[in-house]
Amino acid sequence: MEDWTLRPAKDLDLAGADRHRSYDRESGLVANVARFAWWTMIRGSLKLMHRLEIHGRENLPEFPSFVLVANHASHLDALVLGATLPLKLRDQLFPLAAGDVFFHTPALAAFSATVLNALPVWRKKVGAHAIQQLRSRLIDEPSIYILFPEGGRTRDGSMRPFKSGIGMMTAGTQVPVVPCHLEGTFEAFPPESYLPRLHKVTVRIGAPRTFEHLDNRRPGWDEVSGLLEKDIKTLAGEQPPPDSHLATVDPVQNPSPMTSHTTSTRN
Amino acid sequence: MQPGRIARSWRGFRDVLKGTGESHLEASIQDHLFGYERALAHPLTVTIVLGVIIGLAVSGALILALRRRISGTSYSGAFRRWRSWCWLVGVIFVPVLAGAFWTMLAVMVLSLLCFREYARVTGLFREKTICAVVVLGILLVTAAAIDHWPDDRLFFALGPLVGAMIVIVSIPFDRPRGFIQRVALGVLGFVLLGYSLGYISNMANVTNLAHTGIDFRPLVLLLIAAVEFNDMLAALIGRTLGEKAILPTTSPRKTWAGALGAATLTTALVTAAGGWLFQGTPIAEPGWLIGLGLLISVLGQLGDLTLSSIKRDVGVEDVGATLPGHGGLLDRFDSLVLVPPAVYHYLSLALGPDGPLGSEGPHRILTGGWGG
Repeated sequence: MEDWTLRPAKDLDLAGADRHRSYDRESGLVANVARFAWWTMIRGSLKLMHRLEIHGRENLPEFPSFVLVANHASHLDALVLGATLPLKLRDQLFPLAAGDVFFHTPALAAFSATVLNALPVWRKKVGAHAIQQLRSRLIDEPSIYILFPEGGRTRDGSMRPFKSGIGMMTAGTQVPVVPCHLEGTFEAFPPESYLPRLHKVTVRIGAPRTFEHLDNRRPGWDEVSGLLEKDIKTLAGEQPPPDSHLATVDPVQNPSPMTSHTTSTRN
Repeated sequence: MQPGRIARSWRGFRDVLKGTGESHLEASIQDHLFGYERALAHPLTVTIVLGVIIGLAVSGALILALRRRISGTSYSGAFRRWRSWCWLVGVIFVPVLAGAFWTMLAVMVLSLLCFREYARVTGLFREKTICAVVVLGILLVTAAAIDHWPDDRLFFALGPLVGAMIVIVSIPFDRPRGFIQRVALGVLGFVLLGYSLGYISNMANVTNLAHTGIDFRPLVLLLIAAVEFNDMLAALIGRTLGEKAILPTTSPRKTWAGALGAATLTTALVTAAGGWLFQGTPIAEPGWLIGLGLLISVLGQLGDLTLSSIKRDVGVEDVGATLPGHGGLLDRFDSLVLVPPAVYHYLSLALGPDGPLGSEGPHRILTGGWGG
């Protein structure tokens, strides 16, 4: 923690929904208390209703910044991933959430910002600028992102191909990315239902990767998402297809998901 | 404290809230805290309410009339300021007229919102523990005002005790670098925005000022109206007549002409209104009244400069964006932060044996018979 600087909130000149939707948002005591209550409740209900099982917790970096990525099947996913982290990191945890769903109205934006601490990603107009902002935030400030590289929830239970946004945020940085596999959330809370059902949920956390050696350009981005997609499939117990371009990746530069343990560093 | 006593005092407070208090004391407490029947009992209250409403109506009409003559941006700026004023006047008048309990609640909300802006502008909001103690201090100040321990002893105790608490909770973090800055910012925030503004709640305990039958309403409204009037006059006169800034580095827009003009007119207004309000009390002497007017005017302008200094130190223009056209709430209420304690103690001094202000009761609603 820093000693002390007289530094005003970065979102000082914003109010209402503008502030809640901003990437410069900084929150205070009320949000801190609200998140404490929220995550305590979520942990309890996941344990009770979904008998939540967490494997590989030792793979989580101790300090921010880092990114958790996972397959996406349900609105429960971000909550399950958040529940794997220690409660004291709740203010550094920023799930990246679809702007058109979670920040659509001012009331929703207030909830998503205050309680979920979500940062909006506007799917229809997600420009390079927004991703660049998220990338610099990750480097400059201790933050933990939750990101679903599929870009949306699966409608049939099978994993969709990963998009390159995660690569644009992390290629060429020292920020560790932790691949996670979620099992059971699709059955517990499928996209078409309104309430979650009692169904067991398991999360497997893989070893973190860093992509410092990769270029912050298209081939690097694709490699990031390809590697993470492979990691998550491995965690799920599936074999990646043999013709995958990932087979050519140098194993020295990209340690296998179960061996490395990277501590957090900032760029 | 025995459990039976807690239950009894709670039952008493609950009866007060439900309006079922039967004894003389309980009925008077209920009347004081929630009784809106006396809202317009004093002609000065009526005068201030009507004056402000007419002022708003006239200024609104003026803005509309000048719509064609001024540029679009200055029209929309003026209109937004006017609309924010309407909201502010509503949220000040309604609780004060509704009763002491609502007044205290409104002051608490004002304190909390102002502290939030202060914490965000100084960066203190990142120190969650200190902020939590200041918030707790503001809640305790409100509870102490509602409780009204004889001679406000509980209220006065909270100044040093909450200050000490801010120091104490900062120690265990084992972060000596920046300790002074963090603690000092916490204490300054509590003193200015919790304790000082809390004096308005404390003044809301006046039920029978020096046996004249006058309650807190005209007093609190006169205080707030005089401070805001003074603030506007200083800006208006300063902009039209003034050139020489008082403190050019702190606030180039505040001029000597504005300050002196505002002091003269505010003192005249307070002397006239005070002469009417304090009739039959020891305060109704020209010396005391002129002193009161000068106190409000000078401390009001110093409060304004206090916030200007804070803003200059941090390097921001406004402390927030809560009030369209004004900036933050604190940009509007900065002149109020130094006035209430000075006025409270000044009036208590002037009242002499009839004082201190608000000593006539009701007493110890929350603490009951506890602690002697």
